[in-house]
Amino acid sequence: MGGDIVIADCGDSAIVVKAVDGDTARAWHTVHALADAFEAARPGGVYGIVPTYDSLLIEFDCFHTDHTTVRRALRHEADRLGERSFPATRSRRFVVPVVYGGDHGPDLPLVAEQLGLTEHEVVALHSAAPLTVRCLGAPAAAPMMDGPAFPRPVPRLASPRISVVPGSIAVAGRQAVVSPMPSPGGWPLLGRTPLRVLDLDAEPLAPYRPGDTFQFVPIDPARWDEHAGTPLAAAHG
Amino acid sequence: MADTLTVHRAGLATVQDLGRFGHSRYGLPVNGALDQHSARVANVLAGNDEGAPLIEITALDFSCTPSTDVLIAVTGAPAELTVGGVRRDQWEPVSVPAGETIAVTGIRLGLRVYLAVLGSVETPSLLGSCAPDTILGFAQTLRGDDELALRTHCPPIDHPVFRIPLFRLNAPVAHFGDSWTIDVTDGPDLEEFGDTAERLFRSAFTVTPRSNHIGLRLSGDVPRRTTSGEPLSRGVPVGAVEVPAGDELLVLHRGRGVTAGYPVLAVVTATGLSALGQARPGQSIRFRRRTVADAVSAHRAQRHAIHALKSRVRTAFDALRIPATP
Repeated sequence: MGGDIVIADCGDSAIVVKAVDGDTARAWHTVHALADAFEAARPGGVYGIVPTYDSLLIEFDCFHTDHTTVRRALRHEADRLGERSFPATRSRRFVVPVVYGGDHGPDLPLVAEQLGLTEHEVVALHSAAPLTVRCLGAPAAAPMMDGPAFPRPVPRLASPRISVVPGSIAVAGRQAVVSPMPSPGGWPLLGRTPLRVLDLDAEPLAPYRPGDTFQFVPIDPARWDEHAGTPLAAAHG
Repeated sequence: MADTLTVHRAGLATVQDLGRFGHSRYGLPVNGALDQHSARVANVLAGNDEGAPLIEITALDFSCTPSTDVLIAVTGAPAELTVGGVRRDQWEPVSVPAGETIAVTGIRLGLRVYLAVLGSVETPSLLGSCAPDTILGFAQTLRGDDELALRTHCPPIDHPVFRIPLFRLNAPVAHFGDSWTIDVTDGPDLEEFGDTAERLFRSAFTVTPRSNHIGLRLSGDVPRRTTSGEPLSRGVPVGAVEVPAGDELLVLHRGRGVTAGYPVLAVVTATGLSALGQARPGQSIRFRRRTVADAVSAHRAQRHAIHALKSRVRTAFDALRIPATP
């Protein structure tokens, strides 16, 4: 079911849709269902569709289309979503081995201290239950997840790292992420997975999509090589 | 063996196109030529598709030599363009005989020069584009002695004796000066800045050296957010003007991550982004407020001018029996 939306111009080449349901789960569902429907309609001139939590960015070439046309198409799809319930896309589960702490998770002690927990408790909470991917974000197909059930939000690092290695497992605020590619980052690092998160030659580019879940599993550093380089893939069954 | 373009001085040059479109949903920035207008015009003047791979030369001197006769066009920031030591014009097609050296030196007022070759060059591509992506680690950055395979050649066409420039195609030349006026429209979070929002238009900002294809950092009297609270990560467009913290404005450009958490005060227009792609550290920028309708009109006028140029090029090339791009 589609919820209420507000559509606003975002410059001469983009429009932003905001779901205004008040309920975060419903808002997330609305913007992702609308993104799927809008993308399937293949509107001319549109080259970017970015659904996140409660907002959907549409980027287009204003030489080939215009705001009125895009708004009308969005309204049309939103009304159709309101009329019928879409079958929910099947959520898949990804099992992700993680070496926590040490060189792989240099910020584990800091995060434990900030949360008033032991390092062991932080790891236990992070790997306790599957985390839901909400959107793919910057940098490069990073799966942005709802964070684990920590007692409070995790502050970002005062000074971001120049480069974070691929496979890094990080948390910030109420969010969690796996870094697929080397990139700068201000999120505290808890650990690292030996799996290869992203294969640039794969189609689609990322094996996961919003709605899928990641189950993190602590492993001993000695078992790193067993998993090193194995592509991340959905669990069977 | 295929004909090649051999690079001598590479400076900061890369093979580039208009961008990697359609992958924002996977978190991939569009990237592509920072000055889209100059890149499009270079390709059109060289008889190519607007989005064909071409060479983006940033700030430093560049030279190369084709192994066969070629036709090139050089646009973007003002520079000295020579072929075999002889001055030639930017923003016009230029015939280059085999073995003659093309040199671009003394780039000034702007930052980027575009060099297109008729038929374009062979280049690796990722997800349908050769545009460098620094996060994915994908780029065809040029180095001295690199050889780019040419896709076609073009018989020499300029005057054998007088060497006079053959073309007067009146391309839509971008404006370059010591300072820039950049058009913006209101951003979706304008209200969060209260009365301080007008500071964006009251005085000039200076481009700092910490500026690149991801974003430009500008110093000056920055607007202040009057509300608090961290917005959830959401998609932000290329051109978003943000005030992250401290005393700098951040203007996102084509390499920007697709999601961010800062409020968007204003959005640079499509034509403004091409100009901003040329702004050098130390140069001064004034923002000018435009309506979305005016911004769209300006962009369309610029693109229509390129289309008109395309038909003049086709007519001239047909008359000279210059082969159409395969």
